[in-house]
Amino acid sequence: MKNILKLIFFSIIFFNSEVIAQDNVEMVAQCAASAGNVTYLKDFIIKLDAGIPGGKPPSAKFSMVLSKNTQYRFSICTAPDSEGEAILQLFDMNVLQGSTYISATGKEFPFFDFKCQKTGVYHVFISFKEGKPGESVGVLSFVKKL
Amino acid sequence: MIKRIFTLLVVSLLLFACKSRVDRKSGDEFEVPDEIVNEGVLEISEEVMQNIVQNISSPVEMASLVKSLNASFSGKYLAPTDKVDELTTSYQQAFNLGIYAADLGYLNIYNKTNSVIDYITAIKTLADGVRVGQFFDFTTLKRLAQSNQNLDSLMYISVHSFNQMDKYLRTDNRSNLSTLMVTGVWIEGLYLATQVAKSDPHPELAERIGEQKIIMDQLMLILYNFKSDKYFSKLIDDLNVIQNEFSDVTITIQKGEPEAIEEDGMLVIIQKDISIVNISDDKLNSIIEKTEQIRNKLISI
Repeated sequence: MKNILKLIFFSIIFFNSEVIAQDNVEMVAQCAASAGNVTYLKDFIIKLDAGIPGGKPPSAKFSMVLSKNTQYRFSICTAPDSEGEAILQLFDMNVLQGSTYISATGKEFPFFDFKCQKTGVYHVFISFKEGKPGESVGVLSFVKKL
Repeated sequence: MIKRIFTLLVVSLLLFACKSRVDRKSGDEFEVPDEIVNEGVLEISEEVMQNIVQNISSPVEMASLVKSLNASFSGKYLAPTDKVDELTTSYQQAFNLGIYAADLGYLNIYNKTNSVIDYITAIKTLADGVRVGQFFDFTTLKRLAQSNQNLDSLMYISVHSFNQMDKYLRTDNRSNLSTLMVTGVWIEGLYLATQVAKSDPHPELAERIGEQKIIMDQLMLILYNFKSDKYFSKLIDDLNVIQNEFSDVTITIQKGEPEAIEEDGMLVIIQKDISIVNISDDKLNSIIEKTEQIRNKLISI
């Protein structure tokens, strides 16, 4: 009896892990492919809960080194069953460099290119419009040397 | 009773299968037993280490830079793979995994698929050694390399596998090994750039080498967290030799506001902050010399 319960427990753990891992791999592959004819470098997988009404939308932060004279592409892909729509923003220190969503015009882009002129540490923030809960993948790709 | 248990099993599996994504904290975790869980004393928490600066060194970027300068491929820049089986400690394995990942990036960028097999075999051996072999799709990579087709897929799977291994080590409280992998990639990338600069000098390459001062500062910050460990302490001492050479390199920043333009419906951001690197020929030569010396020391068993 104990052995059967152990079997159930380990089956659940194993099966759950496999499903999650496989799902992430597919999401990243799809998002990297949608970035076009560029070279994949990094991915950022996130799942965020809903924000507090009237408060700042929750976000996930990723820090990375970018190099001078390099054109990078930042792509964002929202999971199909996600309630919120993902936004990716790139900051140098606290200065916004680029975003996949231009709030002034309401225009959205699945990706943007960043022509880097300064080697250093940059920060990517991923959040969801109106602080809704959601799941998404961000991808950093290498476009070309400038 | 048995019927109930099996009903419970089926329902449980279905319920868990519905949970199809993962939040950032949970990563790609699944239990892999490992006795090598951070032996060193961390001065910052594992959680912070998991979120540490990424892309410190990419197996792709330095090789792309070298290729963009029309430097020809040279097999002599690659680390030999014949002594992989003699790398027995997890530290040696993780560090050399980074070295070979950088070499694989160099081979891929130059489409040298004939030599790729040796490097993916070496990486697979080392990845199994540090128990992250499940993330390295050796069979597919070997098939792609042998068919000399789908080079984009070969590149994607190589880089993605490396990221998966790195991510898993961080979430598995083994960021010491992840740090060693990243250090291996970085030193091999610097070695490649400096060797090309030695044989085929180029101002662009000299500037990129000088900028490694910024990246090295980030890397050393991470390494210092493990300095109480003997292996890391020795590694820091070795890398300090290179870091000291960078102390005379100066980098100034011209400030400017980023400009956003639309090109063919695509949003393009042009950064207007510009970094200017001052590195003398003498300094470049001493960086080349010290990098060669330290990198060769580190890859020798």
